[in-house]
Amino acid sequence: MERKLIFDKDRGCRNSSYITPSLDIKPEEIFGGDMLREDLSLPDISESEVVRHYMQLARLNFSVDTNFYPLGSCTMKYNPKINEYLSGLEGFSRIHPLQREDDLQGALELMYEFQNLLCALTGMKAFAFQPSSGAQGELTGILMVRSFHEINGSKKSKVIVPDSAHGTNPATATMCGYETVVIESRDGLVDIHQLEKSFDEDVAALMLTNPNTLGLFEKDILKISRIVHERGGLLYYDGANFNPLMGIAKPALMGFDIIHLNLHKTFSTPHGCGGPGAGIVGAVEPLEEFLPLPRIKKRNKTFYLDYGSEKSLGSPRTFFGNFDVLVKAYAYILRLGREGLKRAAQNSVLNANYIKKKLEKYYQPAYSKQCMHEVVFSCSEQKKRGASALDIAKRLIDYRIHPPTMYFPLIVKEALMVEPTETENKEMLDYFIRAMIKIDEDTEKNPQKLKSSPHKAAVGRVDETRAARMPVLAHTGCGKHKKSQKT
Amino acid sequence: MPYIPNSPSQIKEMLRACGVKSPADFYSDLPEEIRIKDDLDIPAGISEQQLKRKLLALSDKNRPLDKFNSFLGAGCYDHYIPAALSFIISQPEFSTAYTPYQAECSQGALQAIYEYQSYICRLTGMDVSNASLLDGGSALAEAVLMSARLNRRNTVIISEALNPEYKEVLKTYLKGHDLKTYEVQVSGEGKTDLSMFLNACDKDTSCLVFQSPNFFGVVENLIEIKKLFKDESVLKIMVTNPLSLAVFKEPSSFGFDIVCGDGQPLGGGLRLGGACFGFLAAKKEYLRQVPGRIVGKTLDSHGNVAYCLTLQAREQHIRREKARSNICSNQSLNALASAVYLSLLGRKGLREVALTSMSNAHYLRQGLSRIRGIKLTFSPLIFNEFVWFTDNAPQVLNELYKKGIIAGYYIGKHFNKYNGGVLSCCTEKKTKEEINDFINSLAEVLHGEKAYIR
Ligand SMILES: Cc1ncc(COP(=O)(O)O)c(C=O)c1O
Repeated sequence: MERKLIFDKDRGCRNSSYITPSLDIKPEEIFGGDMLREDLSLPDISESEVVRHYMQLARLNFSVDTNFYPLGSCTMKYNPKINEYLSGLEGFSRIHPLQREDDLQGALELMYEFQNLLCALTGMKAFAFQPSSGAQGELTGILMVRSFHEINGSKKSKVIVPDSAHGTNPATATMCGYETVVIESRDGLVDIHQLEKSFDEDVAALMLTNPNTLGLFEKDILKISRIVHERGGLLYYDGANFNPLMGIAKPALMGFDIIHLNLHKTFSTPHGCGGPGAGIVGAVEPLEEFLPLPRIKKRNKTFYLDYGSEKSLGSPRTFFGNFDVLVKAYAYILRLGREGLKRAAQNSVLNANYIKKKLEKYYQPAYSKQCMHEVVFSCSEQKKRGASALDIAKRLIDYRIHPPTMYFPLIVKEALMVEPTETENKEMLDYFIRAMIKIDEDTEKNPQKLKSSPHKAAVGRVDETRAARMPVLAHTGCGKHKKSQKT
Repeated sequence: MPYIPNSPSQIKEMLRACGVKSPADFYSDLPEEIRIKDDLDIPAGISEQQLKRKLLALSDKNRPLDKFNSFLGAGCYDHYIPAALSFIISQPEFSTAYTPYQAECSQGALQAIYEYQSYICRLTGMDVSNASLLDGGSALAEAVLMSARLNRRNTVIISEALNPEYKEVLKTYLKGHDLKTYEVQVSGEGKTDLSMFLNACDKDTSCLVFQSPNFFGVVENLIEIKKLFKDESVLKIMVTNPLSLAVFKEPSSFGFDIVCGDGQPLGGGLRLGGACFGFLAAKKEYLRQVPGRIVGKTLDSHGNVAYCLTLQAREQHIRREKARSNICSNQSLNALASAVYLSLLGRKGLREVALTSMSNAHYLRQGLSRIRGIKLTFSPLIFNEFVWFTDNAPQVLNELYKKGIIAGYYIGKHFNKYNGGVLSCCTEKKTKEEINDFINSLAEVLHGEKAYIR
């Protein structure tokens, strides 16, 4: 049976009565008819039907609460329920961003304290909370780099990223007006020679994530930092992979000048089908004044907003960013504390290495070294036998496991990137391992079964090529109401 | 340890399987210099009970809007949110899933986003919508960058009456680009001066940015805009409050190319301005330059209808430095909430919300017009908010605050020349009593007397 769209469920008449209308003006008397809408083609459906519609949709979705979700580079850890409750408290959810500072003391205090904790964890001097995703954090950070160089009178034109970098890194460089220079990795790590060769005086910054997207720790990080700084550049930290280092090492000590942290990854806030998250940005002392405004400061016992710095790059977003995400991440840090954060980090690494160890006989790890919080396999052998990384990923859905990240990083052929996170238990990891081994067997015995998978999902293999060739991006059919119906 | 399900014995067993003695062994590559020793300045963990106590105490230090008679708007609006909305979007399959990369196990999110896109197209009259951006400000910035990619020209003309927060975001996003921005003043009526706008236009003009209803609450003369700006090579961008589109004609009918803004008014709530999302819709000829995720309809291997992320060759994970934008994570759940909001309210319900807000705002404006010393120099063609002027506005606001009234947003903060201006907003939540209370109190503050309204 074809699933209906909400628009196909339109009843054409109904009284929702969520509000008490008070309609004592006639818009046509104020604006004249030419400005006004004649027809608003929204469906009218009863509440019970709306709820059922969305409940039925929800059940078609895999999620962290219902499925193992080892989507590499995304840190799909458990989202503590208490944090949802706390961010929903009236004192946090019913406040307006333009209220007076004395009405918002709790919110300002929370951000101030949160900043202190983050500074302790990372070694940064200060944080700005507006950036609402990792990519917006990168944009903010690289624009800070730009302002920094401009103020120092050195116009630079390039940003270096490793070939293993996430797509947002080069895309950010472009958005900030820089040319991207890609350096090749060596054994999965930054090639120091290449870096030295490429890092000329025109380079503004190196963008790096550590551990990198191959799940490997950049052990030469101090050397890298020295090269970058000696040549007048800045070192930017894409903090998407901070999870294994929480409470263990500080980005500032590695030499990073500006960093972003993805609160929706490392700090357990839920992903909401793609967002909202937060990509808050921190900076070490000399760069602090370039951070977005306002900054939150404390005088005596009062918290206030400081719009002071003239060097600030401005604002990448309205108001204070995704405040409810900040509340949840703050609560997470408090709840885990010093020891808990470190344990979480260690267990994320243990879980990934356990999977690596148990699967390495079957799937070729991209690099044989110990990994950090995620492990990248190459399914090239399986591909030769007739089933690609894509087929393997789709087959996992039949086991009710959300597939790992596929075909990323780009430098690994037929890549599957597995990030189990610390919040999965051994039984689940073993179940995943068994499924992967069974699938590997099937690449030999029954590759067709993999190629035609999934078999037990809500839909069969989805034709993405068709979607792109013949784009249908919105429902336009039968939504128009007949004029005769009163609005 | 909270949220770590493995028992100590399981952990030991796994460590053994990995051939290491302790988790510290995994970190042998880390140089000594970067490690945290015993000096981590983070408190010890606390129980859930303690956490709740601590955050309750913090939240109690805020004064929620409900404690006041508030007329604050200015980009963040306090509308009524049906209980079913929160129920639906807190379903774990929506709240704890990520971007629906894997279509076969994400059909719920994909269909819901497809429906969201359809809703945005219906409200704006545009052909295509993306799956959301981060907020209204960055949506405008993306729209401007999109225009520059389309016609490769380098000036942007914006109206002075654009939300100042958006101007700031736009300025930030344009830092790395060779694009100049010109701001065109408003007329004495608080409306964009269209003739000045026309004068500012030349062969370098990439796009024109109007906001309607504008930051001062005034509905711009959209019919005139359509007549005056005929040059199709210059893109016309409209920033709007999507709720206003329940009353006003779809922007497509006024010749706009891109429509964007913040979806917060559609069931977003306050959350210190965090419950927002950017929407962006465009004519279909600009589809390839639209930034962000887009969901499309297709078929599965059995020939049944299915949905998936599409046209990804625009995006950073495929196109990298040539991508249309760097956006990756967006504000999906908030966008989804707006679709749920529209589904719950329906055609009639949404019009009621919009018209009631508008009625209340007009009622308030009329009430204020009867108070001596209050100047209403801006146009009366308003939607849900408007500016009134008085001498010593900050002091007046203070006096009202002492009476429990947040009268609005002091616009003198951003606009020197309007240093007596206050932007007051009404939603459908305002009762006549509350509005009368504001009017009477203001009269009292100014004249020490009661101005009796009705
Ligand atoms: C390594 C890396 N960098 C950057 C990002 C971008 O983060 P966001 O999706 O929050 O913009 C991601 C996540 O997708 C990532 O994995």
